[in-house]
Amino acid sequence: MSAPVQRLKKTLPVPYTKYLPDAISRNVGHWTERKFHGAGIIEHISDTGDHLFTVKIGGPPNARFSTATLRKFAEITDSEGSRALRFTRSGNVELFAESLESALRVKKAVEELGYFVGGWGNTLWSIQSCTAYLTCTTAVVDAPSLTKALYDHLVPYFTGAVPLPSKLRINVAGCPSSCGGLAADIVLSGHYGAAPDFDREKIRLCLPARAEVLDRVVPEVQMVCPVNAIRSFPNEDGSVGIEIIAERCIGCGRCKDVCDHVTWNPEKIGVSVLVGGKSSNTGVGPTLARVLVPWIPAHPPEYRETVAVVRKIIDTWRAGAEPGERIADWIHRVGIETVFQQLRVPVGRWNRPVELSTGYGVRQFLPR
Amino acid sequence: MGVNACEEPAGDPLLERGRAILRKLEDGPWPSHVTELRKGRYPIDAYAKGLGQGSSPWYGGSARIPCVLVGFIARRTKDGKHTELHFRVYHPSGQIYRTDDLRKLLDLADEYGLGTVGAMGQTGDLILPIRADCASQAVDALRDLGTDLGGTGDTFRDTAACVGPALCEYALFDSLAVRDFYFQYPDIYAKLSSQFFPFKVKLKVSACPMDCSMAAHRSDFGFVGFWEGAPAVDQAAFRAKVDQGEVSPEEVVRRCPGSAIGWDPVSRTISFDGSKCRKSMNCIRKAFPAIRAGPNRKIAFTIGGNSKGRFGPKLSKPVAVLDDPNSVGPFMTRLLDYWSDRSPHKDRLGDLLVEEGLSSTVDRFKDSLPVTPSGHAPGGSRIVNSCVLSDSERGAYSTWAEAIAKEYDG
Repeated sequence: MSAPVQRLKKTLPVPYTKYLPDAISRNVGHWTERKFHGAGIIEHISDTGDHLFTVKIGGPPNARFSTATLRKFAEITDSEGSRALRFTRSGNVELFAESLESALRVKKAVEELGYFVGGWGNTLWSIQSCTAYLTCTTAVVDAPSLTKALYDHLVPYFTGAVPLPSKLRINVAGCPSSCGGLAADIVLSGHYGAAPDFDREKIRLCLPARAEVLDRVVPEVQMVCPVNAIRSFPNEDGSVGIEIIAERCIGCGRCKDVCDHVTWNPEKIGVSVLVGGKSSNTGVGPTLARVLVPWIPAHPPEYRETVAVVRKIIDTWRAGAEPGERIADWIHRVGIETVFQQLRVPVGRWNRPVELSTGYGVRQFLPR
Repeated sequence: MGVNACEEPAGDPLLERGRAILRKLEDGPWPSHVTELRKGRYPIDAYAKGLGQGSSPWYGGSARIPCVLVGFIARRTKDGKHTELHFRVYHPSGQIYRTDDLRKLLDLADEYGLGTVGAMGQTGDLILPIRADCASQAVDALRDLGTDLGGTGDTFRDTAACVGPALCEYALFDSLAVRDFYFQYPDIYAKLSSQFFPFKVKLKVSACPMDCSMAAHRSDFGFVGFWEGAPAVDQAAFRAKVDQGEVSPEEVVRRCPGSAIGWDPVSRTISFDGSKCRKSMNCIRKAFPAIRAGPNRKIAFTIGGNSKGRFGPKLSKPVAVLDDPNSVGPFMTRLLDYWSDRSPHKDRLGDLLVEEGLSSTVDRFKDSLPVTPSGHAPGGSRIVNSCVLSDSERGAYSTWAEAIAKEYDG
């Protein structure tokens, strides 16, 4: 045990090389080729002559694993002699194997545990979920349960049983902070649907105690608002009062982010649906998903309307895309207005069909 | 109030409603987070209550761990019945574990924690729920394993890299080593235990333009490998792939987003116009290793991407084309100091760039860059993903969603 003050110096898990199993150590930088064996097994071929197989397992929503399940995964890769695994950035797990036969046994053992193998190539790669009601104070809707409902309907797209035009990533976030980001083909982002309100009593905990300071201090809950929709003023009793100006508010939730006592009407909450984001430089390059529909209901546990809208978007894309086209590439080719028409989306002030802007990422450095 | 806080007595209708929702969430083919959480000791009734009432059950809580200022988050439920404490734990770059090492971490999660982990948080860290009564011992146990808790609040968050050369043949540089380098870079390392920035700072490293770490969007500092000019081609190997029916040259030509590829069917030669190449990786992924990145390898260094900030989600903006990815530490340090001096709390670096402009900000510190700044940022890279709607607007979208739901019912 170190002296507590030593804790201010973080212990870092570096260098990464000391964590690698031998099968990877001796091949770092030597990989030359890959082969796909179905949607969930990749054979990595090295110029050292080694072949390493990765078996990709879809994780539960928000990558919430029991230690018992992870121990079982460890036992599976141990029994095949590979003794290593990897977590992906989307919360999936890759088990290693050293021959195709071994990889197929790993796949079978994983499936017997009730998990699915898939998620590479023209499949659903992941549904990334924030933690929402599991630990988060700002969550409006619950992302993990919505993710579960979506996955239950989209399993054949993950396993590759039903092929997609190309890769598909879905991000689900419980609030407008969209912690998973907007670089996914479909993004669901929870929000209030209306301007937030606040708890009249408890809001004082988020405000300066006395109104005299207002001539030199802007309360943080007001300061963080990007559209000046929060006003503060002195109350008659000398305390600070605030007002949320609904006409200006864009529902971004930054006030909620700094104050637990900002509230909302649970009857009006829902999710915005955004399409066409991605990070990779394929096709049109990196782009952010944009609003297709600014609000639809989100009712647990089935999330009937939300799941149906996602399925409709996927089906429309499947029917209209050329092979290899991600949703952004498909939208770019056929035009956003066409996509709106095909989906018969009511157009309003919050979801005008604006074409995807492109040219980001490394393309910002290329000759125009 | 029950004896065991994890098993409240029946009677609260919202809790009962939530418990019914939890039971449904354990059905269905996909592995359930509820089933996994039930195998451990996570306070599942808090989650049930949230689902039952239709809003998050949590308020910010508090915890004190001696000499630990960064890396843990405490919660308490609005009804006062439950608390939750979790660590954010640094993964090694690439998140690859030998099972022996993983088991030590799982033993720790069982002994000091709740028998459950979030294998991957949104920044790339391991989420480790911990018992509040032994949090301090858990910190020591974690440090003894060679890692630590970190990356919460207004600090340098966990950094992330794609899997890079450990598993991927497309890697153009060692993204994992670059993540390790900046983690240990003195001016960054010194700040891992402090909360002195206006808001969070993220750094992501991708070894090729596929950008698996999402440096183009989700990082204040992004590094992406690419190459200048045309891809390199082995004509004989490419022809062999064509002869084997593995690659259609016409399709490779047609699919190139920059229209940079030509195919001469007579001489059976593929040609590239490097000035038009968009580095989209389309041909390389189709015909690797016959077509691969050109020899002049570079790193695109961008700044100011984020999903959470004053002006909403943004894509990152160009700073410079680097030969050495480890050469911009001094620039980053100065830019972070400038941002810390200028920006109010909860404004990201990208928000400062929106207000002050990219080039006027970068130019202040260009003498600390190893090369001249370059690049051109297209506009329109910001999105508003929330809104305030009238009842009739919500009604219209609800009617639309209902029609689609009917189409998919049964």
